[in-house]
Amino acid sequence: MIEVVDIHKRYLRKKVLSGVSFTAEKGQITCLIGINGAGKSTILKAIMGLIPLNSGSIRIDGEQTGKAVYEKAAFVADHLTMPLAMKLSEGFQFMEEFYESWDSERACELMQFFKLDPKERIGNLSKGNAAKYSLLLGLSQDTEYVLMDEPFSGIDMFSKELITEVFASELMGERGVLLTTHEIHDMEYLIDKAVLLQDGVVRKSFNCEDMRSSEGKSVTDVMREVYQP
Amino acid sequence: MKESGAWTEVAFNSRDPLYLQVIRYFKELIATGRLQAGQVIPSRRELGAQMKINPNTAQRAYKEMEEQLLIITEGNSPSRITSDAAVLRKIRSELLADSVNAFLLSVRNIDIPLEELLELVSGKYSEMREMDSRADEGETKHD
Amino acid sequence: MNRYLKLVHMEIYRFRYILGGLMALTAVFQISALVSTLLRELSRRELLGENASGSPLSFAWAVASTNFWFIIPMLICIAVIAMYVFWIWYRDWVGRSSFIYRLLMLPTSRRHIYLAKGTAILLFILSLLSFQMVLLLVENMIFNLIVPAELRVESFFAEIIQSNLALKVLVPQSFEQFFYAYGLGMLAVFVIFTAIMLERCYRGIGILYGILYVGACVLVVTSPVLFLGLDESIYYFYPGEILAIASALCGIVLVISLLLGFRLLGRKITV
Repeated sequence: MIEVVDIHKRYLRKKVLSGVSFTAEKGQITCLIGINGAGKSTILKAIMGLIPLNSGSIRIDGEQTGKAVYEKAAFVADHLTMPLAMKLSEGFQFMEEFYESWDSERACELMQFFKLDPKERIGNLSKGNAAKYSLLLGLSQDTEYVLMDEPFSGIDMFSKELITEVFASELMGERGVLLTTHEIHDMEYLIDKAVLLQDGVVRKSFNCEDMRSSEGKSVTDVMREVYQP
Repeated sequence: MKESGAWTEVAFNSRDPLYLQVIRYFKELIATGRLQAGQVIPSRRELGAQMKINPNTAQRAYKEMEEQLLIITEGNSPSRITSDAAVLRKIRSELLADSVNAFLLSVRNIDIPLEELLELVSGKYSEMREMDSRADEGETKHD
Repeated sequence: MNRYLKLVHMEIYRFRYILGGLMALTAVFQISALVSTLLRELSRRELLGENASGSPLSFAWAVASTNFWFIIPMLICIAVIAMYVFWIWYRDWVGRSSFIYRLLMLPTSRRHIYLAKGTAILLFILSLLSFQMVLLLVENMIFNLIVPAELRVESFFAEIIQSNLALKVLVPQSFEQFFYAYGLGMLAVFVIFTAIMLERCYRGIGILYGILYVGACVLVVTSPVLFLGLDESIYYFYPGEILAIASALCGIVLVISLLLGFRLLGRKITV
């Protein structure tokens, strides 16, 4: 379980996170929802140790985040994180050299599933293919958690469908998935838990099926209630 | 039996619990004969992937259906629809009862005696069956 | 250790074309300058009929006569390496792809990243230096090919080096000199690295911190010379002692730069 406890982050003048707390369980898909600038990416980056926090703590499976986090959790950013001059296959080699959790077979499978050319240069990928490649790199690490920042934004419909298939499939296994989005439509049927952010705090956090069972509300309904009361 | 198509065609609504919608869909497929008694169904994961829903939802639906004796899972073999005729009949009558209830609810506020209602239903039923058989013929002609 | 080496390899691999280009550039400039100077001199002598009576040509003379064209590529190399000291970091932040994300998420101590980049810079400098040495040998051979045996005379290696203004400075004559000169150079690299860390951690005001840090380091390192040595009326220390104090201060500045750099990269860095 990823536990985020009362984290605060300020960028110069703006206070982005003012005490955010929530949990993301293994075996579930948790989604952070909020408008652009609500701090969703900041939270993911903080969990991955890419930005320092002003206060608060983050624990993964009970341990404070440190160097070991990187074999436990994989991060798929909303942009490319590999050198543009590298070929796709060289990217694999790089990952294999540094990560013990790297699964080359799965990487090749996903490469074929997404129909990507290993000899292509990363810099020449279209936006949709770049997103697939980043996702591929994240999923081919055999980690317990996968964090994704806006996996669907700015991508064509067919790529979205492919990516959605991956979500619902084997490749997710018993992993814990934490993702962010500002558009819930593509994700409503896929997620277990929704965490609604606004003004740097968590306004509501709930299990989607329970919300449907007990109150007959969709995630979109709850969002409307919370964001536009 | 167009199985692969069956799973991806489902339209969900976002307000009712998904797992219940999945179960209901199974029942419809059984009642309409698209799923036969004893037929093998996809694994939880495969179902989730094809329906594009969370695998936990598929899991919950399967669990519920097992409890309702709708599907049987023996050991590590793939799950299959029950062969128990009683259960299958019950599903059929359940769905019919639901549809009838829905229909009656919709005409509740209209003032109409039962015989007239039954006549209407009978007439529409024949029309529908005729159209269906013509559609089937048309299909076979083109084959 | 293993991951550190992999990172060094990666840094070198990324720079291979530029390094190769610099070497090729140097070779082209120097060889063409050498050849044209030799041919010009040979034809000049022939014209004036000095061949029988004129003094023999030496490679050292050739080097002395081509100073300008020899030094230009060296300056370019120095400039490129100096810029890369900064670019080796900033290139990972800037552009469509942020490789820094990937680097910071590697399951390795972050100080390995810092050290790998420093090691790479050192290796680039040493490889260019070695290349220049080998190039001189090659140029000497070319000299021997062009100038007929009767007209030439051998030069001592030291002579050759002394004939070029830049080589005089860049090629060390003793291990001690090498250690001090290039050690100081690497110290500068690490001070700059840590200044870059300051800038990246405290965006905005970070540039100020970085500049102040570099200024402070320069001050500390030169303080023995400035305050203890220049004013000859204050003869408290022998020059050798001043050197020792300066070296110790350099060591301290190095350690502080490394530790500060490690800490910043490890805990305060932000993408």
